[in-house]
Amino acid sequence: MCINMIYEVRISYKPGVQDPEGESTLEGLRALGFEKVEEVRSAKLYVIKSDYDLQQIEEMCKRLLANPISQDYEIREVKQHSSR
Amino acid sequence: MRVKLIGIDANQLLEISEKRQLSLNLEEMKAIQSYFSSLGRDPTDVELETFAQTWSEHCVHKTFKGEILTKEGKINNLLKSTIARVTKELNCEWCFSVFEDNAGIVDFEGDIGVAFKVETHNHPSAIEPFGGAATGVGGVIRDILGVWGEPIANTDVLCFGPQDFPYHKLPKGTKHPRFISKYVILGIGAYGNNMGIPTVNGAILFDESYVTNPLVFCGTVGLVPKSKYVRKGKPGDILVLVGGKTGRDGIHGVTFASTELHEEAEETFGTAVQIGDPIEEEKIKRGIIEVRNRQLGSAITDLGGGGLSSAVGELARLFNCGAIVELDKVPLKYPKMSPWEIWVSESQERMLLCVPKENLEEVLEIFSDENVEATPIGEFIRENKLNIYYKGELVGQIDVSFLFNEIKAVRKAVWKERRHPEAKFSMPDDLTLDLLKILSSPNVVSKESVIRTYDHEVKAMTVLKPLQGVYNDAPSDAAVLKPLYNSWKGIVISNGINPEYGKIDPYWMAASAIDEAIRNNVAVGGRRIALLDNFCWGNPEKPENMGGLVRAAQACYDIAKAFETPFISGKDSLYNESSAGPVTPTLLISAIGILPDVRKAVSMDLKEKNSLVYIIGLTFDELGGSHYYKVHGYLGNSVPKVDALRAKIQIDTLIRAMDKGLILSCHDLSEGGLAVAAAEMAIGGNIGLEIDLERVLVRGKLRSDHILFSESNSRFLVEVAEKNKDAFEELFNGCPYSEIGVTTESDELIVYASSRKLISSTIDDLRKAWQGGL
Amino acid sequence: MRDIKFCVLRGPGTNCDIETKVSLEHFRCTAEILHINKLIKGERSLLDYHGLVIPGGFSYGDRVRSGAIMGKTLMKKIGNEIKKFVEEEKPILGICNGFQVLVEAGMLPGFKEEQEVALGTNSSSRFEDRWVYLVNENRGNCIFTRNLKKVLRMPVAHGEGKLILPLGLEEEYLDRLKRNDQIVFRYSYEDGTPALGKYPHNPNGSIFDIAGICDPSGLILGMMPHPERAFHWITYPDWTRKGLKGYGDGYVIFENMVKYVKDNF
Repeated sequence: MCINMIYEVRISYKPGVQDPEGESTLEGLRALGFEKVEEVRSAKLYVIKSDYDLQQIEEMCKRLLANPISQDYEIREVKQHSSR
Repeated sequence: MRVKLIGIDANQLLEISEKRQLSLNLEEMKAIQSYFSSLGRDPTDVELETFAQTWSEHCVHKTFKGEILTKEGKINNLLKSTIARVTKELNCEWCFSVFEDNAGIVDFEGDIGVAFKVETHNHPSAIEPFGGAATGVGGVIRDILGVWGEPIANTDVLCFGPQDFPYHKLPKGTKHPRFISKYVILGIGAYGNNMGIPTVNGAILFDESYVTNPLVFCGTVGLVPKSKYVRKGKPGDILVLVGGKTGRDGIHGVTFASTELHEEAEETFGTAVQIGDPIEEEKIKRGIIEVRNRQLGSAITDLGGGGLSSAVGELARLFNCGAIVELDKVPLKYPKMSPWEIWVSESQERMLLCVPKENLEEVLEIFSDENVEATPIGEFIRENKLNIYYKGELVGQIDVSFLFNEIKAVRKAVWKERRHPEAKFSMPDDLTLDLLKILSSPNVVSKESVIRTYDHEVKAMTVLKPLQGVYNDAPSDAAVLKPLYNSWKGIVISNGINPEYGKIDPYWMAASAIDEAIRNNVAVGGRRIALLDNFCWGNPEKPENMGGLVRAAQACYDIAKAFETPFISGKDSLYNESSAGPVTPTLLISAIGILPDVRKAVSMDLKEKNSLVYIIGLTFDELGGSHYYKVHGYLGNSVPKVDALRAKIQIDTLIRAMDKGLILSCHDLSEGGLAVAAAEMAIGGNIGLEIDLERVLVRGKLRSDHILFSESNSRFLVEVAEKNKDAFEELFNGCPYSEIGVTTESDELIVYASSRKLISSTIDDLRKAWQGGL
Repeated sequence: MRDIKFCVLRGPGTNCDIETKVSLEHFRCTAEILHINKLIKGERSLLDYHGLVIPGGFSYGDRVRSGAIMGKTLMKKIGNEIKKFVEEEKPILGICNGFQVLVEAGMLPGFKEEQEVALGTNSSSRFEDRWVYLVNENRGNCIFTRNLKKVLRMPVAHGEGKLILPLGLEEEYLDRLKRNDQIVFRYSYEDGTPALGKYPHNPNGSIFDIAGICDPSGLILGMMPHPERAFHWITYPDWTRKGLKGYGDGYVIFENMVKYVKDNF
């Protein structure tokens, strides 16, 4: 199989949905003296090597990777470098 | 690939050892040289690596099994002359398998035995705390699988640097203790929780010597049907590698940086750090238990240090046979691994099974059903040789007998008594603040926030949990498991450890750790106790480190023998040293007892108002290494000692009192002494308590604050209903005990010395301090 | 009476299956621990069983989200079998990870045939094991909670148990759950007063303190707390001070499940 495409899929909480990991990281950073941090939001990044097209990657997000109730997804296409 | 060894000189031999990171000394390199000279050929890299693995400290315990020169004479095999000697001399019929296999096994109920093993995973946790701790848990669980055991509980004891250690003082390359502790705890929780094994007991301690070198002790308890504990491999049996794929994980750590491997270094960067996959191990566990239940295997072992090289070699020696291994059959993570890398890789989540030919197909099917890869990679042969092939070519051939005829290490031991400044301060008028300070000090303060991140009751067997009392927030002395659905019999798990004492005298440190582990076990009703030792020490090539080690080992013999508690397994980790110096000599003693009926278990929280409170045991002026001295800025010298013969009578009597139902609550006295034990019991029961120090049985003349905070061993605080006063006292006739107070209607802890009030605090204030609110 | 048989379904990483099986078998029925692979491969059929329990654990390592892979896999591979099972009015119980699986599979709350709610990361952002009080608010729809007392005590042990409803539609969803009598357990104080989001009584920040819900038919129950760990008083955290009182609060839930099958099949 010769795969030419790499997609980066970023899953984050929808605005307004509580992000406990972001909040506790914020607390942790402030405890270390980084007081000027205003907000931390967490996200998960999947790097998918596949020749599926964008629409199908979106389908993956809808069906498994993102939770439709609380999460948004963002897909970025990254073309793989030619190996030549 | 051959390595030129024949005809080269000593310097060149050492150069090879160093360059290839074999950690073999000159004597060992010479022995290998002459072995191959006699064969008339140079060794292959596979063969050389096999010796390096098999002869490493990690695998053969060179120090404990070698020779030690002391002022008093030569010790031949410290392990046999101290720790294992206890077990041999006691010769308990309930010890089923000791010091032989991956874990010690004792009888439990009928055919069911209990296996217990505790390991350390210190260096990996210093480098990658999450993965290091997680794979530590994964590794010790495989030790239990390696005796055909079903893991049922974990115990974890952690030692970190002070959490407020200044950043600017941190040695270069060292991670901050806060970072290390956070991720070690997450790693332990993740592995145990994911595998569905409850973490039921543990401790967390802090000391500056652990800044560069944290200690991570991971223990697992398992059940083994004795009739299915099979170790009878024979020529013709197939070697089946089970579990995850093999990668470059953990091969000599940093070998990749060497020029030879440089081209591939980038590709494999990051794989040296292992994260662990608990779900893979859970699936392996299912498969192994099924193979065991159907009795399809003839032997089993885990793949730990040294990987396949150690596992195959040790099994061959055990069954007095040889083996053929085809390395190209091993499923790999990356295609370009060389044969020696496959042979010594320490990739996680792998086990080696020996399977009689006729059962092979069924075994492979069992693992396939669990989505676990299982691959036949070789077989046992009659001839006493390891024959290692790669794509049809013989890449290594070693006599098993020579492989296990390692060179004896010789160490020097010098013990020099240390004197620390004596504590000099007068007794404060009010000791309430001292108590609150001790309650909120790092080693004593509540660990609830950590305990709750571990699932401590999955399997629904944990009947005495780590937190007790009305609000479920007081520290239990030990955990009790009820592992069989059709029996009330219980397993009791506890530990003892105190690095403060190690700074003064390793002998009494070890003695205290044993006493503490036993009394914690007894405090909830445990009996017929077996022990495990885990030594974490500095470099054994330094005589002063060895001096302490010998003393600690001698204490293990003296004290455990008197308590009649055999050691069943143990481990030593002896290079816990960095440029910042060695770690404080630390011995963890883990204890496993039984409870004939878990319904008779006793917890530490006060139960009723207006009941009597007794102290069992004698109080000495022993504040060296105490928390009281510590909060006043001293270490002192008067480390607590142990009179094990007297202590044994006390615990036997206490167990009898518990069985008669005379004990409402019981708590052991350890860090912080009587004051902290009383405070914790009051917090647990949310019941007030009044104590008169004048009534405490002491030896010698003690200041009131010393009576209150002395950390003398072998003591318990127990609550007895007024109506049982006579029965209790009659039973304890002949034992040192005294009635020192009562539980009250109030919500305060009050401590008097005659009529003078030394401590007066509400339980709420005690609780706040203990929960870190000071 | 015909032999009653339950399926305790496990996937890779499920780990509360044995104690769940033991809890069911206490009521003289058969509970078989079955690997999901056997259903996927068609070696076994769900329809051979009278009831289904999806126990706790970390199915597929909780990767992506707790319960997601197992939930989606079930629907994709044996969706029709499950539909048939539900049509036959056989009971389904999801505990902890099993609840997450049912939600990810779109079987709970069961308004539509797709995922409508979520079990998100605890507000504390960490895994927590603690005993909680639950108030039983079901008015009779849920077959698992009939004759159950008002306030129960059980442990929770999870990192992702906070019920989340679609943003902006919370009130609408809550109304619907209440109207359909689908709310079963809410986190509460000892006296049964709902926790109103107060930690640690509500251990995960779940909306409306919800700890367990059923589908509109009352035959599918999902709950975060572990009834199998509260089956007998000996596993309660403070039995040494309160005494042993026989069976615990989880007992009746299993009893009801078995009884329902005995009465109807």
